[in-house]
Amino acid sequence: MASHSESIIREPLITGKDITYAKITNDILRPVENMPGRAWWIGFTIASLGACLWVFSVSWTFWYGIGEWGLNKTVGWAWDITGFVWWVGIGHAGTLISAILLLFRQNWRNSINRSAEAMTIFAVICAATYVVSHMGRPWLAYWPLPLPNQFGSIWINFNSPLVWDVFAISTYFSVSLVFWYTGLLPDLATIRDRATGIRRKIYSVCSFGWTGSVKTWQRFETVCLILAGISTPLVLSVHTIVSMDFATSLVPGWHTTIFPPYFVAGAIFSGFAMVQTLLLVARKVLGLENYITMFHIEAMNKIILLTGSIVGVAYLTEFFIAYYSGGEYEQYTFLNRFIGPYWWAGCMMYGCNVLMTQLMWFKKVRTNIQISWVLSIVVNIGMWFERFVIIVTSLHRDFVPSSWAMFYPTWVDMSVFVGSIGLFFTMFLLFIRVFPSIAMAEVKLILKSSSEQAKKKLLEHGGLDKEQVEFYKEALVPFDSVEMADYEKI
Amino acid sequence: MDSNKKYWKGLEELNKTPEFVEKNKHEFAEPIPIEDVLAGGGLGGKTPRRDFLKALGFGVGAVTLAACQKVPVHKSIPYLIKPEDVTPGVANYYSSTYDGHAILVKTREGRPIKIEGNPNDILSKGGLSGQAQASVLDLYDVNRLKNPMKDKSDYGWGQADDFVKSELAAIKAGGKKIAIISSTISSPSTLAVIADFIAQFPNAKHISYDAVSYTGIIQSNQNSFNKAVLPHYSFDKADVIVSFGADFLGTWISPAEFIRQYVQNRNNKSLQSKKMSRHIQFETGMSITGTNADVRIPIKPSEEGMALINLYSAISGTALPGARPLKNNIADKAITLVAKELLAAKGKALVVAGSNDVATQVLVNAINSLLGSYGNTIDLDNPSHQYAGNDKEFADFVSEMKGGEVDALFFLNANPVYDYYNSKDIIEGLKKVRLKVSFADHSDETASVCNIIAPNNYYLESWGDDNAIEGYYTILQPTINPVYDTRQAEHSLLIWSDNAVKDYYTYVRNNWDKNLLAKGGLSGRGGWETLLQTGFVKAAENPKGAYTFGRDLNGVVQTVLDHSAQLADGDKVQLQLYQTVAMRDGKRANNPWLQELPDPVSKVTWDNFAAVSPSDMKKWGYEDGDVIKIEGNGYAISLPALSQPGQTQGTISVAVGYGRTLAGPVGNNVGKNAFPFHSIRNGTFQTSATVTLTKTGDNSPLSQTQTHHSIEGRNSIIKEATFTEYLKNPAVRTGNGKDHKDYNENNLFWQDYDHPQYNWVMAIDLNACTGCGACVVACSAENNVPVVGKAEVGRRREMHWIRIDRYYSFNDNGQGGVTKETEIAKLEDLDHVRVVYQPMLCQHCDHAPCETVCPVLATVHSSEGLNQMAYNRCVGTRYCANNCPYKVRRFNWFNYWNDSRFENYLQNDHTLLVLNPDVVTRFRGVMEKCSMCVQRIQAGKLKAKIEKRPVKDGDIKVACQQTCPANAIVFGNANDPNSEVSKALTSERTYYVLEELGVQPGIGYQVKIRNISETEA
Repeated sequence: MASHSESIIREPLITGKDITYAKITNDILRPVENMPGRAWWIGFTIASLGACLWVFSVSWTFWYGIGEWGLNKTVGWAWDITGFVWWVGIGHAGTLISAILLLFRQNWRNSINRSAEAMTIFAVICAATYVVSHMGRPWLAYWPLPLPNQFGSIWINFNSPLVWDVFAISTYFSVSLVFWYTGLLPDLATIRDRATGIRRKIYSVCSFGWTGSVKTWQRFETVCLILAGISTPLVLSVHTIVSMDFATSLVPGWHTTIFPPYFVAGAIFSGFAMVQTLLLVARKVLGLENYITMFHIEAMNKIILLTGSIVGVAYLTEFFIAYYSGGEYEQYTFLNRFIGPYWWAGCMMYGCNVLMTQLMWFKKVRTNIQISWVLSIVVNIGMWFERFVIIVTSLHRDFVPSSWAMFYPTWVDMSVFVGSIGLFFTMFLLFIRVFPSIAMAEVKLILKSSSEQAKKKLLEHGGLDKEQVEFYKEALVPFDSVEMADYEKI
Repeated sequence: MDSNKKYWKGLEELNKTPEFVEKNKHEFAEPIPIEDVLAGGGLGGKTPRRDFLKALGFGVGAVTLAACQKVPVHKSIPYLIKPEDVTPGVANYYSSTYDGHAILVKTREGRPIKIEGNPNDILSKGGLSGQAQASVLDLYDVNRLKNPMKDKSDYGWGQADDFVKSELAAIKAGGKKIAIISSTISSPSTLAVIADFIAQFPNAKHISYDAVSYTGIIQSNQNSFNKAVLPHYSFDKADVIVSFGADFLGTWISPAEFIRQYVQNRNNKSLQSKKMSRHIQFETGMSITGTNADVRIPIKPSEEGMALINLYSAISGTALPGARPLKNNIADKAITLVAKELLAAKGKALVVAGSNDVATQVLVNAINSLLGSYGNTIDLDNPSHQYAGNDKEFADFVSEMKGGEVDALFFLNANPVYDYYNSKDIIEGLKKVRLKVSFADHSDETASVCNIIAPNNYYLESWGDDNAIEGYYTILQPTINPVYDTRQAEHSLLIWSDNAVKDYYTYVRNNWDKNLLAKGGLSGRGGWETLLQTGFVKAAENPKGAYTFGRDLNGVVQTVLDHSAQLADGDKVQLQLYQTVAMRDGKRANNPWLQELPDPVSKVTWDNFAAVSPSDMKKWGYEDGDVIKIEGNGYAISLPALSQPGQTQGTISVAVGYGRTLAGPVGNNVGKNAFPFHSIRNGTFQTSATVTLTKTGDNSPLSQTQTHHSIEGRNSIIKEATFTEYLKNPAVRTGNGKDHKDYNENNLFWQDYDHPQYNWVMAIDLNACTGCGACVVACSAENNVPVVGKAEVGRRREMHWIRIDRYYSFNDNGQGGVTKETEIAKLEDLDHVRVVYQPMLCQHCDHAPCETVCPVLATVHSSEGLNQMAYNRCVGTRYCANNCPYKVRRFNWFNYWNDSRFENYLQNDHTLLVLNPDVVTRFRGVMEKCSMCVQRIQAGKLKAKIEKRPVKDGDIKVACQQTCPANAIVFGNANDPNSEVSKALTSERTYYVLEELGVQPGIGYQVKIRNISETEA
């Protein structure tokens, strides 16, 4: 791929001067091969305190019972399933980036796929902890698995969306893990080659004896493609099935056929927002501005805008259908999102997810790192509220008014949620210390074709359409890692 | 063929070389070097590898064996000599009596576990109140006294007898008074014992004292007709019932009986014969009776007198002196209309008043006399003996005691230190009494200031009898040996009075042989045994005499008006005291089932409160739960306020029976004591007073089981119609018939279940249900439903398998039901409220939404139409509860059975004995719900099988159905077209709640009918 030249109008995917393969390796492995800096330690301390809170509050729940949460006879799920769906949704961007964008040959994914996939795995772990901890008898958490047992003819209920969920989540987790690890192999081998002593031993085991021969590379690429093929339907299936936890029920506000596409869009929406949240910080702290460029940021913002708008359309459709259906319970449920006691949660949901993301129509917003970061957080808050509204606001006032109730979270509810964020960040921070946070091998692939220096060479070589050159230069303006002074001479 | 062939395994064996012979002596080819190992060689010995493996094998084996957990030892000891009438696993039923009702006590392996109505009980035909259902739990109350006490220390019965007898002898000689203070005793044998005691001690006197008294009625009958009796009312004979504050369906005299009577003219049978009684209620606070009335007019206590005067005037046609129109326009108009209706139903009309004021009751007597009620709806010749308290006598006694004229006192089932309005006087007076004996089974407020507590047996441990209404004698027989070292009070009295018969059982038998058996045509030992089986005898009724009210009313009217004027004093708020259906007078305050039973109207548990009308809440700036200081009659309490639609403006209602301080750990300091607001006037306790209210600034949230009170126009949940509409079209609202939409046609996804033999279903008549909540307690007792306490109820986690939903609807200028929250908020008039009750329990849907979503198949459908719960399989995802449109599933949030933070009645080995052994208790993290008493279904089927016959309709009664005094719940087999339930379900009024969801619920409800014409208010 490196042999031919890319069109000048495409923005560079790697910026900076004098980027060599060795420099890429050095840059990306800096956090892996050196002692962590102060920022990392601060982050890690806070995150692991959060993880400890999680351990404490989940143990508390196991010891005393689910009653420690604020649930009641009417609202049987609240922050638990809200948290579960939120984490699963966040986990969506990883596979989408690694699989679908790979199949579509979107080379810009090469800089972000590693972190996104890691995030997926950690998010799914967080989601899975909710699945277990929300059970009344978590020590029997294996019962929904179709295991042969000694209880006689007892089997599981294949009609239950929760069983589908078990399959969907476990498949998704295992495929994502394999895909992620496969992608890691050449990079692990790079670390192994540079490491000494015990680290060398560990990385040589981890790299599965990668030799770097042509045959290895060929097989590697084939496996990656196959895994991408397997993962692609999973991107759609996982959240479709999660949405069926609701869509196949009777509860007004849940019983909706629009849920599968709406949930998938929402999941990608929140997943990209989380990738954005993490990478905007990571590129700064780890000094990776040349590899995660303004192009990446803007591309992700565009996806957030697209999926956010899909979600917005889904919201409108829900309202229209509630009106159009004539179902009094359905109508009340949707009205209740605005005029009921949880009106503020509804406002958070619609405000954060629809109104705020519409700001991204403006290029100035899309290319502003600070605003992008704030918006990515807003999206994740909004998506949490979306799940809260769907779950709690629908349940708390369903069919029989005598049973209408309010849900008030307890300190345990809050600690489990805050703790799960701590758990997530603990895992992520450990990840960037032991594995390269950017797929080095894949970034190197595009150095010769899509990097700023390659483009500069093209410019220097001349013979390009003037208008195209101007366009290219203009496109570079928002890049924080490009020195525009260099281009004045050309 | 024998063979002498010998096989050899080697030349050594064939030749029997010496080496071989030597080696063959040992079991192992190589010797085990145990000595080596033990000598310290360890594994470094000769053959370490093999020995290591051996040691490992042995070690693992030994550890495995040792690790096999010892099975916990359950000390279940078989009967060495099996009692003749106890078969483990089979329940025995004994007839007995509770509050004059004939009951059946269900015992298992010698312990009473459930109280059930005797279907032949003439009062309520097998129906029982929630209190009666809950009474079994008190037997196992670990806080009952375990032995006699003297001055708060343990004492022996022998010592107590000696002490009391010597004291009594001295007191008798001294000549001062002896008093036996009891709540009403309607037991002929107990009364005989007391009479014998008085014969022995001529200076003794028996004083009946009821905390909630009916002296007013008794005295008024003395005044009007020279008969100091509490009449027996027949609501079933009345076509028009007008009640002035008498809560006859909840707490007034004999509610379980009155519910049965009342519903007879309103249930399905009555409606199908196109007949429905009409009930108009004038009252202050919203009582359960008011909620059931066709028309309810809120009036202040001060308006009641004038309302009655006007009613009398309207009926008699001549205005009484002092009659003026009421300021309350609606009530005034209503009185005129009511008078017409009453006159039209002459002879089939009944006016009752809840007041304990003699003058008021005389006025009521006069009205009833004009209406020809005596001999028809009111029976003075076969009166009730349920209440005989004499307020004046007790008040006089208190002053005598204060004057030091009393030397000995016996408290039998009376607790005046708690429930007398002036307990200070009592405590002061008691100090001057030489011998104070209490028969209380708890060291309650009164017992704790007595010298001697001689704890009485619980009624389930006692012999005795009862006589609730004239001619109806029920027998009380023990169903268990006294659990503690207690002794029946009658027995104590017999001993202390040196009666010839010391044993109370013999005394009761003698009394029955001599006086009572003959009334039922029985005699001798055979008669006694028949009695023990049937539970009661019924003597022929006394002939009914004619009673005409002939007294001058002028004085009465003046007294009534004076009283009203006194109550209407200034701007003060009028306070009405009432009893709640669950707690009544507070004697059972230590019963957690009753504390957790939601009040039928307010749905509040574990507390009393100040009921304030919604308009006053706004006017006075109160929010629900704001603690209000209530001051009046020289007493003050602080209680949370609750907005109560229907409460008369300018009044508040507070329940008595709360605020016990020595009831026991469950009942102590639950709510505040409102008894001291009573006052005594013209010789009777008055239940209304004027008070001032001040906001304290605190807020103490009440734990309600229902916090949204309107139906939001959802008429597929509640359907109601007027009687006029019903007469025109019995299928009004349900549309039953050919235009009824069948929601089961589009059945794409569901597998239809076959119910080859049985299809258990239920029919609930909303027009019969009065909302009393007896079913809730019965269900808790039958199904071991845990009690969770105030805090957890407040978090909306009560565990009741059956609940009674109560919805208010409001009148918008006579335009009928306003039921939407948003519209209610705009209404000005929230006083005129209509109420509907709906018992809600698992609907046992044929297409149950809970069943499809359970990942582990813990809830599944039975071939008999039941939705079953396999607790052991449940992992607790709670998806089933979320997906239940009726919200009837209950989750065990905690391990209510041994979590020390839920110190409730279940957590001691003793109280656990009340559990129904046929129903498992549920562990933490497991979902539970109504099983339609599957254990009863199973027992019924087994019984039929043993008797080699099919199950007959009526063989199996579920607990809620069995106790329902209104017979509103019918259970049975829908496959049998002749079963009672099948017939009930064919009623045109039958509808299925939320049937449009297509879940095919198994419980059919029947439309609520109100006897109102559309035009009237």
